[in-house]
Amino acid sequence: MNQLADYLPFLIPLVVAQLGLAIFSVIHVLKHPQYRFGNKALWVVVVLVFQFIGPAVYFLFGRGDQE
Amino acid sequence: MRAYLAFIKKEGLELIRTYKLLLMFLIFFAFGVMSPLMAKLMPDLMSQLALEGIEISLPEPSAIDCYAQFFKNLTQMGLLVIVLMFSGMLTQELGKGTLVHLVTKGLPKSTILLAKYTVASLSWTACLLLAFSVTYGYTVYLFSGDEIFHLFYSVSVLWLFGLFLLAVSSFFQTIVKSQATQLILVAFCIGGLFLLKLFPKMEEYNPLTLVTDNVAMLDKAYDLTSLTIPIFMTIGLTIVLLLGSLLAFFKKQL
Amino acid sequence: MNVLEVKSLTKQFGTKTVLRDISFTIPSQCIFGFLGQNGAGKTTTMKLILGLLQANSGEIFVCGEPVVYGNTKTNRWIGYLPDVPEFYSYMTPREYLSLCGEITGLAKDEIRSRCDELLELVGLSKENRRIGGFSRGMKQRLGIAQALLNNPKLLICDEPTSALDPVGRKEILDVLLKAKEKTAILFSTHILTDVEQICDQVAILHEGELVLNGSLEDLKKQHAKNQIRLVFKEEHQACQLQSLLVTDARIKEVHQQDTTLNVEVNDLEEDGRYLLKVILESGVPIYQFEVLEPTLEALFMEVIA
Repeated sequence: MNQLADYLPFLIPLVVAQLGLAIFSVIHVLKHPQYRFGNKALWVVVVLVFQFIGPAVYFLFGRGDQE
Repeated sequence: MRAYLAFIKKEGLELIRTYKLLLMFLIFFAFGVMSPLMAKLMPDLMSQLALEGIEISLPEPSAIDCYAQFFKNLTQMGLLVIVLMFSGMLTQELGKGTLVHLVTKGLPKSTILLAKYTVASLSWTACLLLAFSVTYGYTVYLFSGDEIFHLFYSVSVLWLFGLFLLAVSSFFQTIVKSQATQLILVAFCIGGLFLLKLFPKMEEYNPLTLVTDNVAMLDKAYDLTSLTIPIFMTIGLTIVLLLGSLLAFFKKQL
Repeated sequence: MNVLEVKSLTKQFGTKTVLRDISFTIPSQCIFGFLGQNGAGKTTTMKLILGLLQANSGEIFVCGEPVVYGNTKTNRWIGYLPDVPEFYSYMTPREYLSLCGEITGLAKDEIRSRCDELLELVGLSKENRRIGGFSRGMKQRLGIAQALLNNPKLLICDEPTSALDPVGRKEILDVLLKAKEKTAILFSTHILTDVEQICDQVAILHEGELVLNGSLEDLKKQHAKNQIRLVFKEEHQACQLQSLLVTDARIKEVHQQDTTLNVEVNDLEEDGRYLLKVILESGVPIYQFEVLEPTLEALFMEVIA
């Protein structure tokens, strides 16, 4: 694609949001090793592979109660 | 009134500290960015596919394509995300028993339900506004010349339908115990509305029109008065559902 | 004035009757021990008093006002501690108490001073962690603080000590004794020593019926038998004495178990002295002579048998 520069105004905020959320979620998964179901490895993969949906599922259904 | 505000504050704190608010904002921000991106990307992708020698003449992307993408994202994924986010607002508390202290402290059940519905509605409003303003910003920047009609009207009826869905969700949360059952019931309701669409006679009453006709609404020729009945239908059903959930919640034993 | 009056209360779940015609009253500044096995209907009774369940028949009055199912106004007089108190894990204890304070309608500065006071009372004043990281005992203590927040006239505690270690139990009993100065307490439990330590009145619930109700002293006098326990070194010595006592007209009953004799008499003092004389004359060496205090446990076992 030759006009990549055209897409930068879109890609930069999108990638920042995606990466930011992914990194934030991975840190949360690693720091709170108690989950309603599944284990640490599963959640790290889920959170990293499925953009937006992975973290959403983790924070809604996967995370434990411990603060 | 003070208890209502205190409980709203508690719900807000919950959304912030469980990172749900952050999550919603990021997701809806992404919707906002993706809509114009997809509109712009589409012709390029098509032309890549068309390299096989077949000449396809594609119209240049325009503002209407951005909003088409926007409404496609928001009426499907957007509503799904919001319903998912608040699908446990009552069921989880009832399951854990966290409301017992507050009710025995004199917090009326109606206050609990209304405060929860208020917070869900406010979140939906904020998320929709965020996604819309991002898409709007990009579209104005990219296709400043294009004329679009009834845009705010179209977004407003989508917003109204979101409030209706949250009322459906509240209603089922006061009736069934499990979060999953409740989600399935909400899905059944939407399915039911789609089935009703098959009967042309019901068409003009169906609340679903508010989220299926959004792109058509942007046309200058679209007759907005045809939406009057679905709008009142939706408002009426929302009120009935909320009253129903108040009644069901009142009867529910903690 | 009676803080709580329960009049012929009946509750059914489906076709199963959980409570049958229960009546009792709790005067102010009284710790009322509410005893019963698991499933006897204790929690149901408490939830009825709180208006969380609907009774099939009967009336409940708190401070003279009737309890209605749903949003009952009488709850403003009541503090409630459920058996397993659940809190919002993302809040700090202070935030939680403030929320409760706002709901009950305390003034802003009153909330602050009550929070300080109560967190101090239950030993959580230095705790800035969120409740999600709390132990069970800490949650129980926060539960008491929460229940006492609105200066209740009636504190309802559902098995507050059951899940705690001896230190935690002692702490909670002390807090309850302190709270008694200002409020009546309905205290359900199946730990009988707790009841003997702090309760003024006792009621025993068995299979949905109130089988016993009164002050601890009276109940013990009425229901307990006068028993003396004799312990011998050898079993044949116990047998020997038993054969002597069985025929004695002044002794009501004798039970032998291994080296122990349980002797039931009419009058502890006179017959006790007589019993000692008999033992001395028989020449059998005795190891232990003990007047059995009537225990709540014996009473409990007797009424639910």
